[in-house]
Amino acid sequence: MCESKNIYLPNLATIEAIVDETPDVRTLRLVFQDEAVRENFTFRAGQFAEYSSFGFGESTFCIASAPTRKGYIECCFRSVGRVTESLRRLEVGDTVGVRGPYGNSFPIEQFYGKSLVFIAGGIALPPLRTVIWNCLDLRDKFKDITIVYGARSEADLVYKHELKEWQERGDVRLVKCVDPGGAGPDFDGKVGFVPTVLEEAAPSAENTIALVCGPPIMIKFTLPVLERLGFSDDNIYTTLENRMKCGVGKCGRCNVGNVYVCKDGPVFTAREVKAMSQEF
Amino acid sequence: MQIITEQNLRNLIDLLVKEAKLVVGPKLSGSVVLYEPLTAGTELTLDALPRRSSKELFFPVCEDILSYKREGGGMKVTDVDRSKFPETVLIGAPPCDAGSPSILDAVMSWDYKDEFYLERRKKSTIVGIACTKGDDACFCQAVGLAPDAENGSDLFLTPLKDGSYACNAVTEKGQALVAAHKNLFAEGAGAEPVPFVDQAVQKLDLVKIKKWLEEHFEDPLWERIADICVGCGACAFICPACHCFDINDEGSTDDGVRRKHWDACGFAKFTNHASGHNPRDVQNKRYRNRIMHKFKYYDDKFGKTLCTGCGRCIRACPVGIDIAEILETINGKAE
Repeated sequence: MCESKNIYLPNLATIEAIVDETPDVRTLRLVFQDEAVRENFTFRAGQFAEYSSFGFGESTFCIASAPTRKGYIECCFRSVGRVTESLRRLEVGDTVGVRGPYGNSFPIEQFYGKSLVFIAGGIALPPLRTVIWNCLDLRDKFKDITIVYGARSEADLVYKHELKEWQERGDVRLVKCVDPGGAGPDFDGKVGFVPTVLEEAAPSAENTIALVCGPPIMIKFTLPVLERLGFSDDNIYTTLENRMKCGVGKCGRCNVGNVYVCKDGPVFTAREVKAMSQEF
Repeated sequence: MQIITEQNLRNLIDLLVKEAKLVVGPKLSGSVVLYEPLTAGTELTLDALPRRSSKELFFPVCEDILSYKREGGGMKVTDVDRSKFPETVLIGAPPCDAGSPSILDAVMSWDYKDEFYLERRKKSTIVGIACTKGDDACFCQAVGLAPDAENGSDLFLTPLKDGSYACNAVTEKGQALVAAHKNLFAEGAGAEPVPFVDQAVQKLDLVKIKKWLEEHFEDPLWERIADICVGCGACAFICPACHCFDINDEGSTDDGVRRKHWDACGFAKFTNHASGHNPRDVQNKRYRNRIMHKFKYYDDKFGKTLCTGCGRCIRACPVGIDIAEILETINGKAE
């Protein structure tokens, strides 16, 4: 048998738990089947992986759980295509493939001693949830933590159980919102688009890092708000969630100009994003 | 200088086949010449550029990267046994084909190593041959190669006017091939080389072109060129240097193979996000990416141009898009 390493070979993992976040968004908790992999697998917040459903192929998602939570990883996805639909049909106890972790990460150590503002839209909470839990598990190392999270409608908010936990724990300021028309009669958050709600919430930019993740349109309208609030482009981080396949800089799919999102990203500062050709 | 007669070149192929090597060279296949496995030296055809490039010898159109099978309650994944990839000799490739693996080595080996490609490269010897005729689509000289460029060849043959070939062992692999079959080669001064007929497109200033590309991400040129592009992907599939691929499973959920297969940045859904957002949503953005990747991005990353000037994309394009003409236009525009 060949000795050289096959970079496309996934590790096998068992689905240990399934949470339906919304009618079409699901979280899988995965545990590696090989004991050595289970013990040695490490990653940093912001990194992604290639998840496979055998018989269908691979899809790219960030690792949504925190690196501080050992023994399992979680991914969260919306079923919109062939692979994600097939992943959604799997049940607890079934096997999936996981390649990774790939890409760069949020430089969390550099955020020690600072305040943090997380801004997420819709299904883009998972890439920040890994950082949120990573930082909450090291709560003493940070000053104020603010989370602004919005979705189109109340039903589209993911991690509802965790939003409640963040709201109630006392050391986090959670600002939850839905787009106009998306609130039910008992909704206890704000109604408005994420950039507007962020501007109203007006977190202080002093000694603060902003982490933004959402659809391109949300990012586009959020960056000027952060600028008005006094955030510099070096203190704003985001992830570019481009379509990927190989995850390792070969397949030529995820480039934005000469930046390979899978290798140079997916985490970038607003300064880096602004320096790129505007093709994302 | 070492010389090999045409008959001995064909004898060399016979011997390599007997040694159980996979010998691939231009061969008449139906009405077209293609790179195909040769079973005898008589099959080698050297009077036409093969329709498709030799890239697929190292980077197949479609290849298995693993197999999976349900076993008991779980899944068993089996790696592909790359030790079984055959020792291969590519023989009779002109510089525009012989040169492509040396360009692709960079992307296939940076950081993560694609051992499927690299194992085939390790086990291959490339016998390149100087080109003695071009057509209107040839433009190797424009992108820094030449009809007699040895880049990428392990052993390089130059056709001589008496029908024999001057041989230059460029690499250790080439030297080893000659050493192992030295009775087929003769020392000699040799006859005069067959001259090359000049190409229509002359040498372009790639540095100038790259600078223009850097400064003209938005330019009316892109729309003018690409509005006629039908996004068929023929240019990418026939290119010796394009390396985009996809990964998919074939089989049932119980038993099957995972495959890597060619893809193309010209396809409409190549960059389509799951959300429906598509960063390269119209064809001119996709065509711009093709030119940018070849003449700027790849150079930025690896210091190489992702094009060998073979002209196949020009010959294959159903709507007549001519990459050499585009480069000439940009070269003219660049200050």
